[in-house]
Amino acid sequence: MMLLAKAVLGLGSTIVLAGAYTFREGVLRIDVDEYRSGGSHVHLWVPAAAVPMAMHFVPSQHMRHVSAQAREAMPILHAFVKELKKYPDADFVEIIDSDQHVRMRTRDGKLQIDVDAPDQKVHVLCPLSTIEDVTRQIEEQAPGA
Amino acid sequence: MSDRNNGFFARTALISAAALLLSPLGALAQSATAPANSSQSTTSASKDRWLHVRVISSDAKGETVRVNVPLELAEKILPAINKERLHNGKVKIDDAHVNDVDLRALVEAIRTTKDGEFVTVQSNDCDVRVAKQSNHLIVHVLDKENSKKSEVEIKVPMKVIDALFSAGKDELDLVAALHALSAQGDTELVSVKDHENTVRVWLDSKNVTD
Repeated sequence: MMLLAKAVLGLGSTIVLAGAYTFREGVLRIDVDEYRSGGSHVHLWVPAAAVPMAMHFVPSQHMRHVSAQAREAMPILHAFVKELKKYPDADFVEIIDSDQHVRMRTRDGKLQIDVDAPDQKVHVLCPLSTIEDVTRQIEEQAPGA
Repeated sequence: MSDRNNGFFARTALISAAALLLSPLGALAQSATAPANSSQSTTSASKDRWLHVRVISSDAKGETVRVNVPLELAEKILPAINKERLHNGKVKIDDAHVNDVDLRALVEAIRTTKDGEFVTVQSNDCDVRVAKQSNHLIVHVLDKENSKKSEVEIKVPMKVIDALFSAGKDELDLVAALHALSAQGDTELVSVKDHENTVRVWLDSKNVTD
């Protein structure tokens, strides 16, 4: 009984530490619902810390391709995210009309983008630190970096 | 250690392990629900200067656009954009002449002139007024045509105009202008009103428009 308790405590502590590490940056959440025939419904919850880790497994030629494609936008994105981190709770853009609502804001250090339209709903919630990590990794893959 | 103590320790260890195992789930639930619950969190550091743009359309769709941009953010991002005429936060203009008007000389003349009215036009179609007042350049246009009146009011601090033209020849320094703007107090820069739309651009220290 004693041995089992120790084993469970050890295993529990390990899982907790791993869980705390994995979820330390929160959750990347993507919800997409298209209200049409054949429309896609995507609901994705991923530990934000897992995204930069998963990018290490992307074949380098694909990363180089992405880096080359996004070459012009990367410095802007990098500067944008770096500055956004200074405004963890702010509303930046809101567009409302009779049937649509688009909103871009930061909440608790996460970038939140919401699109509510009659034919689709898109909700993205992504920690800014995750975007920064991903941006850095893509920049590092740039030719000559 | 007695059997009683062993049992107590084992139960404590199992409960601790269970609590530890469940704690990340609680944190996860909090992180997932927090954005929805904190939708009205709107405070920001008072030193931040925010540029606000609001467009309200009174047509059938009733569109409202609200844009709030921290000036510091714009100052940092603009130099990162190098596209066509925009480089390092400066816009290239072919030369400082627009329709044979030397803009730089015109700005210099306005800057050194005392407060006063430079242009006043009053007609049946429209009224136009361009003036310098309390170190602000003011442009006011009232269009009276077609019974659908529209009114435009632009009020720009002279320091911002100076900063805008502070770059080399044939360039407008947007970053310098934003920096100069951030030193200004709360002010309304642009106001446009017509029968369908209301547009406002203003500067303050709040990160929300309403």
